[in-house]
Amino acid sequence: MIEEEALVLDLKTKSKQAQAFEVLVNTYKERLYWQIRSIVLNHQDADDVLQNTFIKVYKNIDGFKGDSKLFSWMYRIATNEALNFIKKRAKLQGVSDTDYQDKLVSNLEADVYFEGDEIQLQLQKAIATLPEKQKLVFNMKYFQELKYEEISEILDTSVGGLKASYHLAVKKLEQYLKED
Amino acid sequence: MNKNKNNPFKTPEGYFDSFEDKLMDKLSKPESVIPKDSAFEVPDNYFESFHDTLKGKLENEPKVIPLFPIKKIIAVAASIAAIVLIALNFNWNTPSELTFSDLANTDIEAYFENNDFELSPYEIAEVLPVTNTEYSDILNSPLESDHLLDYLNENVSDFDELNIDYNE
Repeated sequence: MIEEEALVLDLKTKSKQAQAFEVLVNTYKERLYWQIRSIVLNHQDADDVLQNTFIKVYKNIDGFKGDSKLFSWMYRIATNEALNFIKKRAKLQGVSDTDYQDKLVSNLEADVYFEGDEIQLQLQKAIATLPEKQKLVFNMKYFQELKYEEISEILDTSVGGLKASYHLAVKKLEQYLKED
Repeated sequence: MNKNKNNPFKTPEGYFDSFEDKLMDKLSKPESVIPKDSAFEVPDNYFESFHDTLKGKLENEPKVIPLFPIKKIIAVAASIAAIVLIALNFNWNTPSELTFSDLANTDIEAYFENNDFELSPYEIAEVLPVTNTEYSDILNSPLESDHLLDYLNENVSDFDELNIDYNE
């Protein structure tokens, strides 16, 4: 695990910035990628959003006050970037966010970077039916295996509230998959 | 902690503190019909080459220089807000002395120029409601020659470049 405070300090120091940024990118790229991918679903969009996330981090690192962990701060940026990306795309196409997300799930069947079987495809369809918060919590807990405390800091929600959201999401998904 | 003095049994440290979490995890995990693998893939070597791709993008990021200085826009907005505030608090029985022209935009602008609000144009752009601003608002506004000259003066380092023929 990298020394976060030292890394932040290096990121704010002109002479060490480039090297520190490389360390930052290499340390967090995969975790942030999977968070973004769980929201935008296809690889090309996830790549765009991941790049924009790091560019935003790079440009705004001076504004990072250390009130939260660097990881949580970046995760929050990545999540917001991905959600905004979806909203912008839906608006561009003149459809609701829900309709746009249904379309994303339908596209998975032809996606070369989705190697899921029928159950995994059904799971994505089921996840798409969840409210936004439950969707985020489920993906972060179930697939990314983040701790409730980490999710709490990222989403600024109480641990109790997260547990309730997660269990509701699991129940709904199980119900959906059993019925299907 | 052992509440019963005669009870020789002990629990591992922190056992009861983490019991709820473990129980909740167990309740939701086993025998689930939900597959554990999301089945999403990435192209070969995507993560290995990601930093280089990002570096290239960062180096080629165009620097956005606002044609309409954001501080001037803020100054105008502030002056309008000031007029509204003054109008609301103004005693209408007294002779009207203040007019729009009496509010010195230069003073308000100087205030914004001299006080560092630590807001980059990028940050201000993020909070401005995009829906209320149309491209046509900008395109239909006549460009003041003074603004153009100021802009060129501030942002063009080599004036000879302006004389190069388009076809060259």
